[in-house]
Amino acid sequence: MSGAFSALRGQLVDAAARFAGGPDALSEILAGIVDDVDRALAEPLEIFPVCHHSPSSGLAMVRRLRAKQPKVIYLELCEDLRPLLDELRNCRLPVALQAFASETDGFPKDWSPLNVVAPITEASAEYQAIAYALDTPGVELVLVDRSTDHVFQWLPREPETPQSTVDDEETDLHGDAVGIEIGDLRPRFAELEEHLLHHGKVRHWSEWWDQYVEQPLVGADYEEYRQVMVLIGSLFRRLAPSRGDERLARDEDRERYMWTRMREHLAATGTDRADCLYVCGAFHAASRVAQFGSAEPAEAYEPSPRTATRWLYGLIPSSHGAIEAQFGLASGSVSIAGATWSRALTRYAVTPFQLDGQQGSRKRAKKALAAQPVVDPPTTDRLSGFLSGPPLLHGLDEEELLGWSVDIVRLARRNGYLASTADAIAVFETSILLAGMRNRRRPTPYDFQDAAVTCIEKDVVPGRRDVRRLCEILLGGDRIGQVGYDALPPLARDVYDRLAPLGLDLDRRTIQRALMNLDAEPELVPCSHLLWVLRRLLPRGAVRPIMGQRRLGQRSPQESWDLDIGRNQRAIIELGYEGVTVEQVLEQRLRKAVREPQATAAKALEAVEDALLYLDSRRFTDELGGRAVELLAAERTVDDAPEVLRRIRGLLAYYRTAEPALPHWCEEFVKVGYAHYCTLLPTAFVEDETPVRQVAAMLGFLFTLESLALSLGCDRAQLELAVRQSHPESPAKVALLWAARTQLGQLTIAELRERTDALLDNPLVVPAFPQYLSGFVQSLEPAPGLAGFVVEAMSKAFARLPDPVLLPWLPTLITTLKEQAGELVPVLVREAARTFPAGLAAVDAWTPPWERRTAPATHTAVALPVGGPAADLLAAHPAATDALAALLGLEPGWRAVTPAGAGPAGVNGAHGTTGTGAAEAQALLESHPETARALAALLSP
Amino acid sequence: MSDEILRPPAEVKYAEELDWLESIDDAPKPFTWRLSPRMVRLFILGSERADGLDREVSQKWFGDRSFVERSIVTLASDRGLLLIGDPGTGKSWLAELLAAAICRNSTLVVQGTAGTTEDHIKYSWNVSMVIAKGQSRASMIPSPIMTAMETGRIGRFEELTRSTSDVQDALISILSEKYISIPELSTDNIAFAQPGFSIIATANSRDRGVNDLSSALKRRFNFVRIPVVTNKKSEAEIVRFRTVELLRRHEIELEVPPTLLDILLQSFADLRAASAAAGSDDERLESALSTAEQIGVLEDAVLHSNFFGDRTLRAETLAGSLVGSLARRSPEDLAILNKYWHGVVEPRSKQDGGEWPAFLEGGRQAISTLS
Repeated sequence: MSGAFSALRGQLVDAAARFAGGPDALSEILAGIVDDVDRALAEPLEIFPVCHHSPSSGLAMVRRLRAKQPKVIYLELCEDLRPLLDELRNCRLPVALQAFASETDGFPKDWSPLNVVAPITEASAEYQAIAYALDTPGVELVLVDRSTDHVFQWLPREPETPQSTVDDEETDLHGDAVGIEIGDLRPRFAELEEHLLHHGKVRHWSEWWDQYVEQPLVGADYEEYRQVMVLIGSLFRRLAPSRGDERLARDEDRERYMWTRMREHLAATGTDRADCLYVCGAFHAASRVAQFGSAEPAEAYEPSPRTATRWLYGLIPSSHGAIEAQFGLASGSVSIAGATWSRALTRYAVTPFQLDGQQGSRKRAKKALAAQPVVDPPTTDRLSGFLSGPPLLHGLDEEELLGWSVDIVRLARRNGYLASTADAIAVFETSILLAGMRNRRRPTPYDFQDAAVTCIEKDVVPGRRDVRRLCEILLGGDRIGQVGYDALPPLARDVYDRLAPLGLDLDRRTIQRALMNLDAEPELVPCSHLLWVLRRLLPRGAVRPIMGQRRLGQRSPQESWDLDIGRNQRAIIELGYEGVTVEQVLEQRLRKAVREPQATAAKALEAVEDALLYLDSRRFTDELGGRAVELLAAERTVDDAPEVLRRIRGLLAYYRTAEPALPHWCEEFVKVGYAHYCTLLPTAFVEDETPVRQVAAMLGFLFTLESLALSLGCDRAQLELAVRQSHPESPAKVALLWAARTQLGQLTIAELRERTDALLDNPLVVPAFPQYLSGFVQSLEPAPGLAGFVVEAMSKAFARLPDPVLLPWLPTLITTLKEQAGELVPVLVREAARTFPAGLAAVDAWTPPWERRTAPATHTAVALPVGGPAADLLAAHPAATDALAALLGLEPGWRAVTPAGAGPAGVNGAHGTTGTGAAEAQALLESHPETARALAALLSP
Repeated sequence: MSDEILRPPAEVKYAEELDWLESIDDAPKPFTWRLSPRMVRLFILGSERADGLDREVSQKWFGDRSFVERSIVTLASDRGLLLIGDPGTGKSWLAELLAAAICRNSTLVVQGTAGTTEDHIKYSWNVSMVIAKGQSRASMIPSPIMTAMETGRIGRFEELTRSTSDVQDALISILSEKYISIPELSTDNIAFAQPGFSIIATANSRDRGVNDLSSALKRRFNFVRIPVVTNKKSEAEIVRFRTVELLRRHEIELEVPPTLLDILLQSFADLRAASAAAGSDDERLESALSTAEQIGVLEDAVLHSNFFGDRTLRAETLAGSLVGSLARRSPEDLAILNKYWHGVVEPRSKQDGGEWPAFLEGGRQAISTLS
């Protein structure tokens, strides 16, 4: 092994010494490492150790594949993901292979839905192996790792803390999936990593890896590469805490699984081991399990069977940022690895493998694989050379650094920084100085990044990209993958097809505006419908209506939408796991929502509303409505009463206008609701935990839907009894009960007013008056006719309540009105506007109507003469009028009635006045007959 | 010499260590630097076993390694170095260490104030000599910056943004052309900078905008932003390091119990979190709650215990010092501290016990005395 690795050697030996626990243990570890390396390299089935996001792994892979041309490639990746790999060619990388199960079997309930992602980037060794195997005839690709089902089977039952808690849109592409990746090679405990970072004088793991492994390895030959990788894997493995480490136990199980699968495959196909290549993480290459190796082991391994969970598979878009966030890598490290990969390809003139038809990357001339004989150089002992030799100095890649320096200044200027050519020179110089100080042979992207920050960043402006981020963009930026149309599930393809008439490029990662004039372009109506359904199903912001709305019985002739489909491709793909069309998914979700144990009648009504809006299926709506009836009948609380009332009112109004008759379930709902709320009313009035608003909503249901309920066979006596049985104690509910009784005719307005006045007169009750008032305000829901009285009570409260009671209550009044009775305020304001004078000037002379009414009967004199057939009928049958008067709180009093046309005498004094007026009018008409004649001429034909 | 000075500059204090480092340093050195960049870094950040040195070099500045590296590299380049950060983040200390390590002189300092004039940056005249002998190099008083130029050393400019913009701009020509012309003289009228000259300026990020730098001057400086240390472990190290130094300076034999150090760090961490969450300045302590402030609190408590107590640092004394140091505005700061004491310290003293109850009591007394 060449001296290029002397720094790495120093790092590893130091770490081993630090964590070994003594000189004996150290020598034991070192000897063990040598054994591990020997074992891995001596295995007849060639092991190719890789590390994730390592350009040198990719490079070594390309070289090895070209040299060896294996016929079978075994890959450390969940075996059940194999069919997805063929779809990779339809995608723009990075994408993630996903396995998804919403209905689980044998796993804790709260784990559902199970979601696994395995991101694939173009710069990775595994992609090279995949591309080679899929595009070379006669080569078989076998995934040998445990299935996704086993991933969860082997997880500890105590759920781990979620790996990804990022809210950032760009880095949240994987959602809350469990991430798996090939070649996870990182110290297994924090102290070791901290030690390596501290002694390596670097900030994060990716930088350590780049400096101590990546750079020396890029130029290394294959044997050197394998030895170093296995060595690192072995060291991390040996330094990992052995006891009680579930992760190590899992890894060992995976190794047993993989070797067992490979042996099975070899036996089944009879492939020569020399024609195979096993690609696995360096950690697994240094495995010490008994089943290691292609030879038949002493003890066989029997993996546990899969559970009955039904797994669904697909590809979702991924991004460098998402990969970094998921696997805890430093920001920008995957992009930088990608940039290093591209540079290495150019520098070493290596042509990588690429799947035919792969989108997004530059096309490379497909180089036919030369039929080279496999010449395996003898494995030389390079491990001992690892201990000596000066570092090999490469020439500075000045051109490239210069290019970066110039480009970063240009980019910084475009982003609002005051950067000039002088800065480019300074960045260049500083990068070289920093690399020198950090003992690096050439400035790495990390040095360049630091230099750029030092020389260019002078101000921090919120909202402006910082220089570090600009460097990441410059070095490749966050590449975001995309799943191609052919690799999409049927639902997603259906969505794209159905939105095609809009003529928008839905793959773009910007917001697209769709304008639809549905009257002029009726062919867009299905698009509009689909968008409304998507709005219901997708996360917020994926599709957003700017103009136009869809409510019960209301459709907009013109609509305008902001579509962000490109950035929400994952969400659409994941919908595909639930069904074949969006309508089917919505139907399933609605059905599930009303069937789940915590479903309520209000939720069921909401589902009915959604079904009416988005799914044109009478049968399904009726099914949901039927469920709403069941749920209402089974409910024991009235917490949802306001919501139920609001929704059923809306639905009834819709059905009355849209359909000739109410659906059966609606009638049932009203009937059941009437009986249900009547039953619960007395309890609700008494229970402290039931708020007034809920009771008011119950009464609202009972009073406003009463006519319908009675027509369907309900009995009003039930309601009357329920009200009579109610004996509330809290002031607000007492007021509500009074209002209800007034509405039922059990109490007159006059009596109600009397009771209210009595409250205000009683100094012991005055402090509670505001609460009574709250009850009255809430009573507007069931009895809107009491608006005048509520205004009166409120006016009296303002006039008569003492300040210590009134002032603290005012804020409460406003907040209560706002929160609980928002829809009642307009009624109140309208009534107040009718009651109070409009101008300030009129206020002085104004007398409130309730005081006017109480003034003695001076006004009765203005009563008009009555007569005619109606008056005669009423006089003959006074009972109905008497009852009405009683209901209105008036004293019934009958006067003698003069038949119409009879003389004015006889009723009371008022008639005298009227008679005089008639005579005067007659005299006037006689003296000026022109008007009357003109009128007669006008009226006569 | 160091025995006679209250606070010896870094190059005096660490003279022996610097001599030793210089003697073993065989790496290439830029300009007239006394140490190579890597040795400068080692002097400031301390040595590791992996460095393979015969003796240990202690860490003198605690913070992110890359800040130090970027600073050293800047000084080796053509640009000046501007350290920006909140008060008490160790900017001046880093500047002093850098100057001491690079040129063994950290005292060529100009303090920026509203009263700083261009003379303080360039040169002024000894009036009596001018009257007696006329204007000449002998009657000229060079500023520290000019001295640094002529001797190829590092000049320091503390609180650059406190001085007015026109004064700041006098630095532009110094940093670009690297000379100062003296028009009053007819001969020998240009003072050229020698190789190795550079400027380390510091600026308080809380003062930004008072006299913001012109873009021409900004262009000639590389900015290194030093954040407030929020890592508890490094902060504990800083406080311990500085306290030991202060105790030595005061010649006080007194031990700071680790539990009390923890209480101090925890209190500052809590108060910082509260400040970050506060909506307005009135709900925020006036203090920046920097590490230097913590050292100040601890020093105050130590001195108090030493001279007015029983030579043992107690939680009550620490609480009193903390309240005394942080309560600058009455009633705002006192109200915040009162809220903190009753909302956080009290539950913690019930829950954790240890020194917290004594800390609670001490704080309460201090607050009531000040209220």
